[in-house]
Amino acid sequence: MPRDSAAPCLSERATGMALSVLTEILQMLEALAESGASGSIDLRSLPLSDADRAELEEALGRGEVRAEMELAGESEVWETTYPGVWWIRHCGAGGKIATEEISVCRIPEILITHPVDIEAAAARLKKELETTHV
Amino acid sequence: MSDKKTLGEMLTERGVSRRTFLKYASYTASIMALPPTAATAIAQGIANARRQSVIWLSFQECTGCTESITRAHTPSIEDLIFDFISLDYHHTLMNASGHLAEEARMAAMKENAGEYIVVVDGSVPLKDDGIYSTIAGITNLQMLEETCKDAFAVIAVGSCATFGGIPAANPNPTGAVAISDIITDKPIINISGCPPIPEAMTGTISYLLSFGSIPELDHLGRPKAFFGEAIHDRCYRRPFYERGMFAKSFDDEGARQGWCLFEVGCKGPVTYNACATLKWNGGVSFPIQSGHGCLGCSEPNFWDMGGFYKPLSTAKGDPLKWAGGAVVAGAAIGAASAAIARNKRNKVLKEGK
Amino acid sequence: MELLEFARGPVLTFAITVFIAGLAFRVVSLFALWRTKDSSAGSPREKSVLSAAIREIIRRLWPQVAYKQRTMFALVNGYVFHLGLAIIVFALAPHILFFKDLTGLSWGALPNNVIYAVSIITLVSLIASLVMRFANPAQRIISTFDDWFSWIVTFLPVLTGIIATSHLGARYETLLGLHIMSVALFLVWLPFGKLMHFFLVFVTRGQTGAHLSHRGAQL
Repeated sequence: MPRDSAAPCLSERATGMALSVLTEILQMLEALAESGASGSIDLRSLPLSDADRAELEEALGRGEVRAEMELAGESEVWETTYPGVWWIRHCGAGGKIATEEISVCRIPEILITHPVDIEAAAARLKKELETTHV
Repeated sequence: MSDKKTLGEMLTERGVSRRTFLKYASYTASIMALPPTAATAIAQGIANARRQSVIWLSFQECTGCTESITRAHTPSIEDLIFDFISLDYHHTLMNASGHLAEEARMAAMKENAGEYIVVVDGSVPLKDDGIYSTIAGITNLQMLEETCKDAFAVIAVGSCATFGGIPAANPNPTGAVAISDIITDKPIINISGCPPIPEAMTGTISYLLSFGSIPELDHLGRPKAFFGEAIHDRCYRRPFYERGMFAKSFDDEGARQGWCLFEVGCKGPVTYNACATLKWNGGVSFPIQSGHGCLGCSEPNFWDMGGFYKPLSTAKGDPLKWAGGAVVAGAAIGAASAAIARNKRNKVLKEGK
Repeated sequence: MELLEFARGPVLTFAITVFIAGLAFRVVSLFALWRTKDSSAGSPREKSVLSAAIREIIRRLWPQVAYKQRTMFALVNGYVFHLGLAIIVFALAPHILFFKDLTGLSWGALPNNVIYAVSIITLVSLIASLVMRFANPAQRIISTFDDWFSWIVTFLPVLTGIIATSHLGARYETLLGLHIMSVALFLVWLPFGKLMHFFLVFVTRGQTGAHLSHRGAQL
């Protein structure tokens, strides 16, 4: 939902969407507990007003884990006060939120290091050791 | 030139991690209205793809589409698209010029035959054998046909290439036509808008790259992910429309309060684009939010819809232009009919005497 | 978009031109006819022509006691859809803009949802009038093409307007195009059928009033 100081119509009003999202999160969390099936909610695709988003963020809170990432712009991932419910926020140019997602899983994929990156890291470290400690 | 390595290999060498890929894929999935779980597939698809050769043809255009796609502030996920594609030919952005540029184009076509994408902006003039726009001594029509022959897909960007745009507006002196009117044997994706939203262009190219197939298109050949909904249906000023609260003129009280802009000519109800959701300049604003009605720039013939400030519920031109003549003609026929009736009556009366 | 452009462009221009020409034709062809001169002295109770005409028009807004019971439903139903049509046409904001574009005049609008409710009532009322005409054997026998067709061209704009506003069944630009085409059909037919009563009813009732007043009838 756009932020519009000239037209304070909908941006500041909570529409009840937060409760709707929380209900969906509960369903996903129960499924995760039962069968290990993970789920995601793309927040950008939902008609959330600023008040709704703030309400949702406050309801979920921040838990034990937080990660800040530098990936072609900033990104932040935190586990909410409900273990298994993670909030992923990707920013693009100028710190603007490019995409946001709530991921119900054991750990979001973006935090796990990819095998290809590991191979590349091993090769790089090897090279580093060879050149500096000949 | 395009690389024989995969994008994954290429970018790993440059220190761009797969994690960054995944972030880009999440972003692409989101703007293409795909579920978040598609991000993994998109990331994998892009990593396995080879750097995509893109030949960009510019015809009767204003370069606005290039301006739109190149809006970048600091290196960010929005810029990654320029790592994923090899822009082998582009009048504004390439280094070479003159016949060296044309040689680059021919070489890219030969090397990537059957695999390169042609992006076109601008319309193609057809009148008088197409002499109204020529590049390197050949007409746009010739360049389009010869370049598209071995292309994998064609993306027409901007309202000029998709529907004819401003060159095709009344009276269309150059006989300008859309790309889809000329190329009929290749898959064409239309990304309309004047200019199109940058993410509409980059998201579509990313989709093509990841999945190797065309996304779902509407009846005008536009990706439904960006053109599936009318501005009106996602406009945050819609409640004012429903309640009948309209700005009557620019800068009146209604305009200051942010009321609906229907009365100052907004074409939102009949325009399909992502302006109300994705917005412009990285989500800053869009015309209605800035206080101006939608121009309908992603629709065919938007220049000839009657005027940017004429509300949708009015006639397009001047329906009273023949009103004077109509009154005279109607009155004349009416007078004639009364005269005939009078005549008949007089005859009857005379005979009766 | 093509249907909408066609409707807002050449179709509306044609319809409005024919409408104006048709009105001019009907009015002139009627008023240019002869008038039978009445040389009688006239009753001492006679009012001025204009005053008698207006009184008769007002008097006929409601039926005489003798006829009231039999015509009550048709009367009330008639008022419902006439008032409904007037409210829809003249109090809906986009329609007011249409008139403002043509004439320069504009006035306040009623909220969209009020008009929406009125239009549903008007739709039902129009259907009721059709059912009445069809179900009554006498009415059905004497009904002509003009009766049925005039009903259709009045009904279609209301129906297509409701459908367009509700965004039902097709893309909005198609629905709006169809609505404007239906209004064009209404305008083209109006001068040539019984819909001319919108103007002529005042002429005929006024004339009757003047005539009766001249004869000294108690009005």
